[in-house]
Amino acid sequence: MVDVELLALDVETTGLDPRTDHLLSLGWVPVVGGRVVLAQARELRLRPPGDVDVGPSATFHRLTDDQLSDAAPLADALPLLLRALHGRVLLAHHAPIEVEFLAAATVSAYGSRPPLTTVDTMALQHRLLTDVHGQVAGSLRLDAARRAYGLPRYTAHHALTDAMAAAELLLAQVAELELKLGREVVLRDLSPQRSG
Amino acid sequence: MEAELAEVRDFLARHAPFDRLPGEVLAALPRRCTLRYERRGSVVLDVGDHGDGLYVVRSGAVEVRDETGELVDRVGTGEAFGMSSLLEHRPTRYRCTAVEDTLLLVLEPEAFDELSRTHPDFATFYAATHHARLARAIGNLQRATSGSTVLGTRVGDLLTRGPVTTSLTATVADAAAAMSSAGVSSILVVADGELRGIVTDRDLRNRVLAVGLSPDSEVQSVMTAEPVTLSIDALAFEALLEMVSRDIHHLPVLDDSGRPVGLVSTTDLVRLENANPVYLAATIGAQTTLAGVIAEAPGIHAVLGQLVERDVSAADISRVATALGDAVRRRVVALVEDELGPPPVPYSWVVLGSAAREEEGFTADQDHAIVLATETDEAGDAWFAELAERVTSTLEQCGWPRCPGGMMATNPQWRLSVGQWRDRFADWSREPDPDAVLHSAVFHDMRHLVGDRRLAEQVHQSSVAMASPRLLGHLSRQALATRPPLGFFRGLVLERHGEHRDTLDIKRPISGVVQLARIHALRAGSPALSTRRRLNAAATAGLLDPDTAAELSDALELMSYVRLHHQAAQVRAGRQPDNNVAPANLTQRQRRHLRDAFEIVRTAKQHLADRLLPGFQ
Repeated sequence: MVDVELLALDVETTGLDPRTDHLLSLGWVPVVGGRVVLAQARELRLRPPGDVDVGPSATFHRLTDDQLSDAAPLADALPLLLRALHGRVLLAHHAPIEVEFLAAATVSAYGSRPPLTTVDTMALQHRLLTDVHGQVAGSLRLDAARRAYGLPRYTAHHALTDAMAAAELLLAQVAELELKLGREVVLRDLSPQRSG
Repeated sequence: MEAELAEVRDFLARHAPFDRLPGEVLAALPRRCTLRYERRGSVVLDVGDHGDGLYVVRSGAVEVRDETGELVDRVGTGEAFGMSSLLEHRPTRYRCTAVEDTLLLVLEPEAFDELSRTHPDFATFYAATHHARLARAIGNLQRATSGSTVLGTRVGDLLTRGPVTTSLTATVADAAAAMSSAGVSSILVVADGELRGIVTDRDLRNRVLAVGLSPDSEVQSVMTAEPVTLSIDALAFEALLEMVSRDIHHLPVLDDSGRPVGLVSTTDLVRLENANPVYLAATIGAQTTLAGVIAEAPGIHAVLGQLVERDVSAADISRVATALGDAVRRRVVALVEDELGPPPVPYSWVVLGSAAREEEGFTADQDHAIVLATETDEAGDAWFAELAERVTSTLEQCGWPRCPGGMMATNPQWRLSVGQWRDRFADWSREPDPDAVLHSAVFHDMRHLVGDRRLAEQVHQSSVAMASPRLLGHLSRQALATRPPLGFFRGLVLERHGEHRDTLDIKRPISGVVQLARIHALRAGSPALSTRRRLNAAATAGLLDPDTAAELSDALELMSYVRLHHQAAQVRAGRQPDNNVAPANLTQRQRRHLRDAFEIVRTAKQHLADRLLPGFQ
């Protein structure tokens, strides 16, 4: 894992459907050489298109229309994210959300999906918790998975905090895998998915 | 938008010493950290590693063990390790192992250094942790041979005062008044020099006030007769056992002939555990009034006494003594500055002498000065004069006597701008009359304490750069003039006259090593301050044979060790510590070693004379 660089990403959105819902904030932090590099942590709040309001989703992420009114439009934020992702593996807890919202954004901006390699801490946790009979013992939710490794409790639904939480979870999962495999973990062991 | 790492910041804000940092400083810290995860059982940092910075445990636990595998500390959430390498700039002597699955927040070394420079409390906090771990590591080594622990301290060593006593027929009111005026919570009832009973606060409450007994009743009607007692040789551990098993808080202590010599309370035992540099430095740093600092300062002697008892090395005790002294001095300067308002120009308050070399012991005069950014007008000087006077008089009340030679910031001669200091050193270097030689020796040992560090460093660097061969020659001559004891009486020379007849002034040969190291370091152009570092610098520069440098370091350690044990015994006996060691109190082996040490100093001086002063002697 020493050679692989990852970018833990979390997005907050108005809903779960990338076709109709919108991104409200992006939080990311890189994992380099087995360390979470806080110096390069970023959080960007995004201004949704003019006619959209945050609606009931505000109960989760606590971002209100007022807070977002002076945020950057997606078109300004997207290049920063793509630059941070360059040469790195995308890391997220339940990655399809991040992947699909990111794809929708690049399709709309540049007309194509980005080529991505993705590691999903939730899928990884599913694998780690599945016993020989195919039974899953324990919850896959970010908070529950973190507690299983003795990681501290964080306030959920804040993009950067969730990204950091996923990054820390991955370090714990890698340590667990190393113990199970009895050797150093390589990217292949993390079931990476390619897309785009 | 700058990402807000609120989780990390809030975590730091909940733990010392980060909790004392200003909000904006704290908010910038998370970006200077990385996060790491360590499985239970994995070694985070091993003996010989330099480490990646300051390791703060975010969750989990880490054990710190010394080279022999003995436990030195257990570090939990919010606590840190790895400060030894950061403070000493050398590899760690500990193995740090995660004993639970652990998330670590690693603060980069540059950030640690910056915070140490700009926030003295921060530096003091970790220096104290470092010293405490060091002391424990050394204590471990010692315990392996002697079987002593903190609670292995003898009860007799815990007694801080003689017994407060009353008679069988005194009234309860008299007894209460005696307790009150002595500030104690129990009183011993004595008849014919023998202990007959004890009366405690609790007895006054339960047996007098609660039942409406007259204060004119006799003490013997309310006392606990034939109380449980301890022998003066009992261990603190046994005292604790007695107290816990009987639910009592006071135990009279009897000497060999059965006479009461004092009393041990639960508070004494708690204090025994707390006689720890970390607690004390934190307590001193938390004082908000000068009176508060004055009240805590005597605790330094107690801590040093404990370290001496645990047989910690003299070098380490001296560093703890200096760190604690710095905690007091920093706090005092800061509080006086608060009283006076902002300084007219930036300044550095510097310490001189043994404090500058980090070689303090039980006795040290105040030696300090002020380096100003620029020369001040009359009003400006009045501000600094007032600062100096208030700090000096407060430190005097804290137990540091004024310097008899007036080498203090109260002396306007020693409140100078950077430029004036440089001129002064240049003068001393050009015209080394006896005063100049003395002054240059004193002021070459200069260390920044409070304020703008760069000012002190500029002066110190210039002072090293300006040391002329002529000045070095004079310094050497001065060093040779203070001769190590010769003309042995059973191997040791003794003072022949006066109050200290038949004793040995141990300070003189110690100063001998200090002077030698200073001269060699100046020859090497090294800004090092501590005698050991100076000797190393001279050896590295090829000016001193490495074996000689090592021998001089060993000699210094031995002589300082003897001095510290001598002074600790004096302090325990309630006397003023001094430098006059009675050879009769030394073991045969210590005398032999001391004589060897003196011989090493003498030979090294002779070499210096041959090298620097051809034709001298």
